[in-house]
Amino acid sequence: MTWVIHILNGVAYGMLLFLIAAGLSLIYGLMKILNLTHGTFYLVGGYIGLTVMQTTGSFILALIASVLAMALLGAIIERFFLRRFHLDELPQTLLTFGFLFIFADLSLWIWGGNPLMLDEPEILQRSVPMGYYAYPVYRLFLIAVGLAVAGGLWWFQEKTRLGTMLRAGVDDAEIARALGINVSLLFTLVFAVGAALAALAGVLAGPVLSLYPGADFEVLILAFVVVIVGGLGSLRGALAGALLVGILDDFGKAFFPEFALFTVFVPMAVILVLRPTGLFGRR
Amino acid sequence: MRLVVDIERLAVTVSQAIFDNRAKATVCDASMRSPKSRGIHKGNAMTTRKTILCDAADARIGVTLPGKQLARRGALRAVAIAGVAALLLGAAPFAARAAGPIKIGVLLPLSGNFAVLGQQALTGMKIYLDQVGNKAGDNPIELLVEDSQGKPDVAVTKARKLVQGEGAQVLTGVVSSGVALATNDYSRDNKVPLVLSADAGVTELTMPGPLANPYLVRTSQNGRAVGAVGADWAYKKGWRKVVTIGSDYAGGLDVDYAFGQEFCSLGGRVVQAEWSPIGTADFGPYLTNIDRTADAVIAFAPGADGLRLARQYSDFGLKGKLPVLDLFGTLVYEPNLPQLGDATLGMYSVLFYTPMLKTPENQSFVAEFKKRMHFMPANEGPNGYVGAEAIVDAVKAVNGDLSDTMKFMAALRAVKFDSPKGPISLDKYGQVIQPMYIRETEKVDGQTANVPIATYKSVDQFWPYTEAEYASFKYTYKDAKNAMTDCTRLLAKK
Repeated sequence: MTWVIHILNGVAYGMLLFLIAAGLSLIYGLMKILNLTHGTFYLVGGYIGLTVMQTTGSFILALIASVLAMALLGAIIERFFLRRFHLDELPQTLLTFGFLFIFADLSLWIWGGNPLMLDEPEILQRSVPMGYYAYPVYRLFLIAVGLAVAGGLWWFQEKTRLGTMLRAGVDDAEIARALGINVSLLFTLVFAVGAALAALAGVLAGPVLSLYPGADFEVLILAFVVVIVGGLGSLRGALAGALLVGILDDFGKAFFPEFALFTVFVPMAVILVLRPTGLFGRR
Repeated sequence: MRLVVDIERLAVTVSQAIFDNRAKATVCDASMRSPKSRGIHKGNAMTTRKTILCDAADARIGVTLPGKQLARRGALRAVAIAGVAALLLGAAPFAARAAGPIKIGVLLPLSGNFAVLGQQALTGMKIYLDQVGNKAGDNPIELLVEDSQGKPDVAVTKARKLVQGEGAQVLTGVVSSGVALATNDYSRDNKVPLVLSADAGVTELTMPGPLANPYLVRTSQNGRAVGAVGADWAYKKGWRKVVTIGSDYAGGLDVDYAFGQEFCSLGGRVVQAEWSPIGTADFGPYLTNIDRTADAVIAFAPGADGLRLARQYSDFGLKGKLPVLDLFGTLVYEPNLPQLGDATLGMYSVLFYTPMLKTPENQSFVAEFKKRMHFMPANEGPNGYVGAEAIVDAVKAVNGDLSDTMKFMAALRAVKFDSPKGPISLDKYGQVIQPMYIRETEKVDGQTANVPIATYKSVDQFWPYTEAEYASFKYTYKDAKNAMTDCTRLLAKK
């Protein structure tokens, strides 16, 4: 039974990591932007969810509000700032780095420095007994949401017209443009979706991981680890990387506690040595 | 990522370069401008240059020099330097001469992850100083506040700025242990009194040994006393086999080791010791692994970790099955309590403070703190208050004359007063002797609060041992990882 719980734990944590990393990977895949503001979308999204939850008491409303707000913020950042430096890596990275600091200070100012925790929706505030143990229902819910988002993103990429355009844009943006695809609109859209995914992760992680100054940077690093393991720009890679990192982290902490600090980074180093492009990376 | 690191390094270098220039230009302390040093400067060229710089700067702010002297030094050069100095200094303040207010230099993390702790300590200090009208007897007190960002290198730069640049006569604050160690070195090397008034619990700082510093006192706490008191109470509670979960850093090892040592010496045993890295997001693996046959779980997880551990402990169905003793009140940290709902009900904790103490000193402090910060004080608020009170009392004892540093240190070590934390005094090493409270988290007026259920009066840093007994132990907390579950090792004598 202990094993089942450890695996469930790892998968639940992995699903959170997937939600965080998927957006980063999508954005890089299409635009080759290393978006350092990604952790900001997560943290500010979570904070907005918290505020909405505290005023309305509804978890669903909190999710919707924060996802919409961050999608809008993402679109603005892409449209009015990043747009100016297309494919120019250094200014792009610096710009997103600057936004990271600006929003970190703004949220410290608005929400203060104490760690804050969202409440789970009431139906999920239970745990299911498992033999001698008990497992929180909310984590099972996280696994379900993660799978649903992964399925949804796959369907969007593979089965919709927009998804096809997206794949075309990833393969060769210039040819896609020549074929009449509005790549510039696609960029804004994908950036907004990436930010929205991070916000979703922020609200969903709120009841488990809590929100606090510095979480933006921690999450950013975790997301990098996941996409490096999985391969930059690949959704499949983000999912595989997230699950692998989540499970290894849990097992590492449980069975090799001396190495708890490295459980996330060792797999990354090993994979970088064996497959520098990550599990599903191209080239 | 490499890029990020490089940029950060560049920014640090640039700001340091700018600051160093400013620091150089602002070292015009009293000695530099004393009549003696205004004399002839045939000695070392560096001193001469500095003095000219100081004098030139003085000229800028209206200090006139005898014309002959100035001419001897080369008027042109002085004017040029004055120009540069004016450019570099901008509106930088100058060191005051001895007269004037007592200047207290405050080093606290006011940005970054520890910001909220720094703000609480600062609020505590200000509450006390406002209470006494910002005066120590007849001497006005001036607080010079600098943000250490919780980083040792930044803290030392800021300490230098406060002392050499702005004339601070005492340093206080701190929080982070790394900053405490760095500032301790600075204080010892420069003979500047340092009052650790916020956290900074490195046990060895106030014990005989390589870190000992005659210019240091600590009014906050140390790591081990809280752990030892926790063990005593846990044993009296009837627990014999416990599991520890502690944050994996020097502070966590220190606290848990002290618990294990005292628990063993009474006859109990730690059957399982888990160490979680700082910033552990998911405690699931640790909670799943806990030995369910133990009598209780002993937890120490400061910061956001404590919040997560408290919530996840309840989520994993452990609440109500295995009681928790929280060393330092990290899970039941007052600012976090409102967010944790009923998850913390029934948890025990041990700390040198609880806002629920029904003393007049504490009740007026809590009311004022809540008015300023909008949440209940936990540890740093009362710590800041007590630090400020100790400094003010010592300044009064020497009649505002801090020129004899050792006399001031003796006055600091002699302070004794009733504080929000309870009766406070200091031992010969400058470490605080104060009460410890066992608290239980209960609902009070519809809100969870840490209600005191037992008090250990005047706990000193070696408690319950004498200094000699404590020194006779063979191992220290640095061996915690090998020793926690092994009583023979924990109790081994030299």
